[in-house]
Amino acid sequence: MLLSIRELRQSTRMEGRAVNKKDRDGSRTGKRTSQVSEIWRRFRKNRAAMAGLIILSIIVFFTLFADLIVPYSKCIDQVGAERLQWPSMRHIFGTDEYGRDLFARVIHGSRYSLFIGVATSLIALVIGAVLGASAGYFGGMVDMVICRIVDVFMCVPPILLSLAVVAALGTSLQNLVIAITISSIPGNVRLIRSVVLTVAEQDYVEAARSYGCSHARIIFRYVLPNAMGPIIVNTTMAISDMILSAAGLSFIGMGIQPPSPEWGALLSGAQKYMFSSPYLLLFPGAFIMLSSLSFNLVGDGLTDALDPKLKD
Amino acid sequence: MILDIKDLSVVYQTDMEVVHAVNSISLSMEQGETLGLVGETGAGKTTTALALMGLLPERTAKVTKGSIWFDGTDLLSLSERELQRVRGDKISMIFQDPMTALNPVLTVGDQIAEALLLHNVEGHSRKEIEARVEETLELVGIPKERKKDYPYQFSGGMRQRVVIAIALVCKPDLLIADEPTTALDVTIQAQILSMICDLQRKYKTSVIMITHDLGVVAETCDKVGIIYAGEVVEYGTLADIFEGDVHHPYTVGLFRSIPSLTGSARRLSPIEGLMPDPTALPEGCYFSPRCKQCMDICKKQKPKVYEKNGHQIRCHLYQQTGTAGEMEGSGGR
Repeated sequence: MLLSIRELRQSTRMEGRAVNKKDRDGSRTGKRTSQVSEIWRRFRKNRAAMAGLIILSIIVFFTLFADLIVPYSKCIDQVGAERLQWPSMRHIFGTDEYGRDLFARVIHGSRYSLFIGVATSLIALVIGAVLGASAGYFGGMVDMVICRIVDVFMCVPPILLSLAVVAALGTSLQNLVIAITISSIPGNVRLIRSVVLTVAEQDYVEAARSYGCSHARIIFRYVLPNAMGPIIVNTTMAISDMILSAAGLSFIGMGIQPPSPEWGALLSGAQKYMFSSPYLLLFPGAFIMLSSLSFNLVGDGLTDALDPKLKD
Repeated sequence: MILDIKDLSVVYQTDMEVVHAVNSISLSMEQGETLGLVGETGAGKTTTALALMGLLPERTAKVTKGSIWFDGTDLLSLSERELQRVRGDKISMIFQDPMTALNPVLTVGDQIAEALLLHNVEGHSRKEIEARVEETLELVGIPKERKKDYPYQFSGGMRQRVVIAIALVCKPDLLIADEPTTALDVTIQAQILSMICDLQRKYKTSVIMITHDLGVVAETCDKVGIIYAGEVVEYGTLADIFEGDVHHPYTVGLFRSIPSLTGSARRLSPIEGLMPDPTALPEGCYFSPRCKQCMDICKKQKPKVYEKNGHQIRCHLYQQTGTAGEMEGSGGR
């Protein structure tokens, strides 16, 4: 009996020491990088998200090095002798009704889609963050005014809103970006406002005021960084919506105009040859779907990876 | 006199009702002193502190009357911009719960440097500020190597040390400690309290210690104000409150609610009833509905302050004759 008690004590002491050591090691290695690597570790475990990331990387690779893969002239120059050819070794995606190489057009088209997707989501994010954070943080009259304006915009379906803006401003890349951005700001404002509402209630925000921080400093240094998780996820997902909107608008002729190789515009041009040359629809359609899907998968993965409650 | 609160009243206004949180509180303190504010939850202690910092919620709270003189200026007359210069530099605050009072996305070093950067009128370089941050960390007993760590890597007690470091880094004239040890366990509580006292002596800071724990008061305070329903019902030196002959019945009740370690065992006698609804305060003395020595006059007329050598009691018991001697029995505990 005596012995067992002594043993017990010894083992507890040992355990205590082990825990202490672990604690110390933890605090040593737990530096700035640990949070990022922790998120990456959780993200990597999610197969769908990794698949999305790989597809996305390939598309981004095409976008960045499109000129090295196929020169831009190949998707503009019309070659009468090679009209409407099915996919072959010479033209792996086939050619369109003017004899232009579809592969070149799709690859260069990714530049439009990704640029529009990323640019519009980022602009909408910045404007949404400023408006949403002000509404959530200040409340009262500011909140009232911003929310009512947002409500008005929310009454109009986003695609109609974009159409109206393009109709008013005319068709061009710049106007397309403006149109899609405007239609996605209201949703962003609402999301960011609701996240900020909960963060602004936290003690550390009041504490920041007690150090003498100004409102602007509190919003950008205390409130928004702590609201970042949902905002990052939403922005990633939004990019896929933006790509679809851009393709949709181009499809009905309100976006990028031919001969510029935008995916939606490619689809639109392929309608006439839907039955004789279905590959003209297949490839741009697949790229639209894959890029949109990959952003969604990555967004989903980020949701889980950024959620501290799911730590394991 | 570093701080002089005169006749301060604060109400919270909503569409439905008006909450009288602080009712004509007057308090004053000298440089380097510690003033304890004791009272139940909802007595108006924190509201008083927030009014001092100018941090009352803008839309609902309103100071209806009174003034707060700090170092020769009326804090209530300052603009938000001027207040920002005072907060953190001249007056700072320790919050109740260290688990939520630190920004999770900034390193503790950055958070301590925050107040220094905001009040950097002398134009210190980044290096000098870093040095000051390290010095302050060591002062509160945290190795300076840990300034690059994030709050989640600290325990509750360590975080409260960080919170204290933030509050003290600018060497403020007045420190408001709003229940600094309530969220900590007892062993850490003693450490934190003695650390606050040491640093107070070192920097000659005045401290307002807000608490509902009379033990904390006994250990740290020079002067004590007992607050009930937004009023100071008793005010005096530590000796007046703990050893004085006469007391407000509420103070007596507070002391009867603490178990004694030395005396013979007796049943605890808590104060019956609840604090009055601050939206509908009773006429006369606010404590009268719960007071065992309640008289007719208590229900009709507000008591005036009885004062003897600076020991103030707001109660009718001591006003009929003007002498305290005859009331000895009623005030003892």
